[in-house]
Amino acid sequence: MLEVADRSASSDTDHFDSAAPAAPKRASGPSMNAVNNWVPHDLVMRDSWFPLAHDHAVGKTPVRRAVYSHPFYIWREDGKVVASEFHPLEIVTRDKSPYTDARGRYPVIEHYGLIWGWFGRPEAADPAHLPSLPFLPPKGGLPKHMTATIRFDCSAPISLENLIDLTHADFLHADVVGDEKSDSEEVEVYYDSETITMVRTLVNKSVAPIMKFFSGIRQPTQNVRQVIRIYLRSHCAIAYGRFSPGDDVPLFHPCTPESRDRTRMEMVMNTSNAGTMFRHVMPKAGYKVSRQDSSMTNPQSPRYMDLSPRKDLHSRFDQAGQRYRLLMMDLAARQDAGDFAYRDNVSADCSDIIGLRKELFQF
Amino acid sequence: MASPWWKVALSEEVTSTKPLAVDVADQPVVLWRDAQGIARALEDRCPHRRAPLSRGCVRDNGWIQCGYHGWSYDGETGRLKDIPNMKDEQKFPPVYKAAAFAVSENGGFVSVNLDQKTLLAPPAVRHDMPLGGTAHVALGHDQWISALFDDPGLVLDIRSVQFTPYLMSDLREENGLLVMERFCQWGKLHWPSYATAEFPITLITRTDPETGETEAVLRDDSFRTLLTAQVAPVPAARGVTQVRWRACIGDELKGSHAVGLRHKGSFAVRETVDAAALRVLIPSASHLANKLREDIRSAAPAVPSSVSAAA
Repeated sequence: MLEVADRSASSDTDHFDSAAPAAPKRASGPSMNAVNNWVPHDLVMRDSWFPLAHDHAVGKTPVRRAVYSHPFYIWREDGKVVASEFHPLEIVTRDKSPYTDARGRYPVIEHYGLIWGWFGRPEAADPAHLPSLPFLPPKGGLPKHMTATIRFDCSAPISLENLIDLTHADFLHADVVGDEKSDSEEVEVYYDSETITMVRTLVNKSVAPIMKFFSGIRQPTQNVRQVIRIYLRSHCAIAYGRFSPGDDVPLFHPCTPESRDRTRMEMVMNTSNAGTMFRHVMPKAGYKVSRQDSSMTNPQSPRYMDLSPRKDLHSRFDQAGQRYRLLMMDLAARQDAGDFAYRDNVSADCSDIIGLRKELFQF
Repeated sequence: MASPWWKVALSEEVTSTKPLAVDVADQPVVLWRDAQGIARALEDRCPHRRAPLSRGCVRDNGWIQCGYHGWSYDGETGRLKDIPNMKDEQKFPPVYKAAAFAVSENGGFVSVNLDQKTLLAPPAVRHDMPLGGTAHVALGHDQWISALFDDPGLVLDIRSVQFTPYLMSDLREENGLLVMERFCQWGKLHWPSYATAEFPITLITRTDPETGETEAVLRDDSFRTLLTAQVAPVPAARGVTQVRWRACIGDELKGSHAVGLRHKGSFAVRETVDAAALRVLIPSASHLANKLREDIRSAAPAVPSSVSAAA
């Protein structure tokens, strides 16, 4: 009934970014199953695209972002985006990091209406490693009201673990997405070395209040299919909800690890296909929902900063979160061993995997 | 040293409508009342994903429910009772529990002992006192107690009462408590204390050497009790001391200052300490008190107490 993903403690790893502020070194942990060996603050993912800004946020004046505390100054030169570890007005007194070219510039790319910076070996930067987001127009252009910048007061993997376990939504976000009452709840998990996808199917769930008020759903219940797909390295997630009766709500939910314990989300919710009211209101829900999440993930976060001999308890609804922990630790262990290769293709169209109704999202 | 009882809340602060977060040093604790009205205490950390249980709610049947994923726990044992949508699979192995603490309630205080199997008798307070309050002080627990011994005026505020540096009786041990008596003056025009022949009032304090819990009695020179207070400093997170107190005013009050004690706000624990005065406060009674506290501590048998050691 209660499942714990049991594994040997062999993947007990120390992954550190030598340039980031040092965290206390973990002793090799006591024998315990790996899923409880979870110290998300120590995970550093390299050779990855991170979404740093909405394209409309960057002009001639540099804006400041960070990935694992490494500065990214982003601006446009002749309309073309550049990202540098130095501010153009900075009198440089520090050494260049190994993550930029001779001029201190990071590889940068503009896609899906976002600006993506490459963190890792510059020579390995390749658009083929950009996550597939089939519900966003590749050239951007969605209205600004479908985008937002939101920050989470916790470590990025904690925010993503929060997202992939949607049972929390029924409690934390009941006033937005409806309570926990449903006739049945199924959770399926699929994964490869770079992604994890969770599909949650609910039959006759209480209607989400936001749909009741803004989409005019009259029925007391609705069937819900929610998909969370995480691109492990870039800490990006797709949250795609199909509500019937109701709307299709595809959300791009990145969790960029700007620093060890704080996370930035350049969210995009493509509600183009919903009614006028819902289309404008639903993306705003992020401001409320994110505060509700932070009320739990903020106090939760420091409790994961050190390896603890006290194991977390798990239920069968946690299999996705447990798998996410294991996959992240595996990937970090591989990177620690110097293997930065992508074994699975993250840019391959994932429409079928997330069950996207493609007819609604033609670009 | 056996794990002591800490007065972590006033009775009226603990309800069945909203859980209350308190702490004993670095140990977060959640308090609430179950369906029978009994005060319960668990570690304020859901063992599922480590979220604070105090941000959840109390269910109608008296279980506490985590606000993150809805896991529910029984207060007496800490056992997990319910995971939402698990339907008929709600039987959990015994390890599925939150750390539970011993709770006792009397005299208008709720006390916890971090050692659930403690053999120490819960504290007894003589009678209910109608006045009460909580102060948060940015001063460590030991330092707060030392200040109380050397100059109560830095940490306590009794209307019209001036504490003098003159002790009527030195600090001594009496039935396991540290007892002392200090001369006080009414705050009116009078000779400064060093030139005063007689003092109209005294403050007797009886302090538990481990917890610093203190009974303070203000008496006049005719042996009338003007005010009795029970003051309980508890070490809280980040070196803050949380002080809960209750007080009652004597029945027979003579003189305008004494009668003035009947007005609201006549007793309080100070939220802020005058740091400039504290820094230059010359150790006197506290010097002896620290020695006595040390002796009493080392004489007591060691008993492991903390939750993390047990888990």
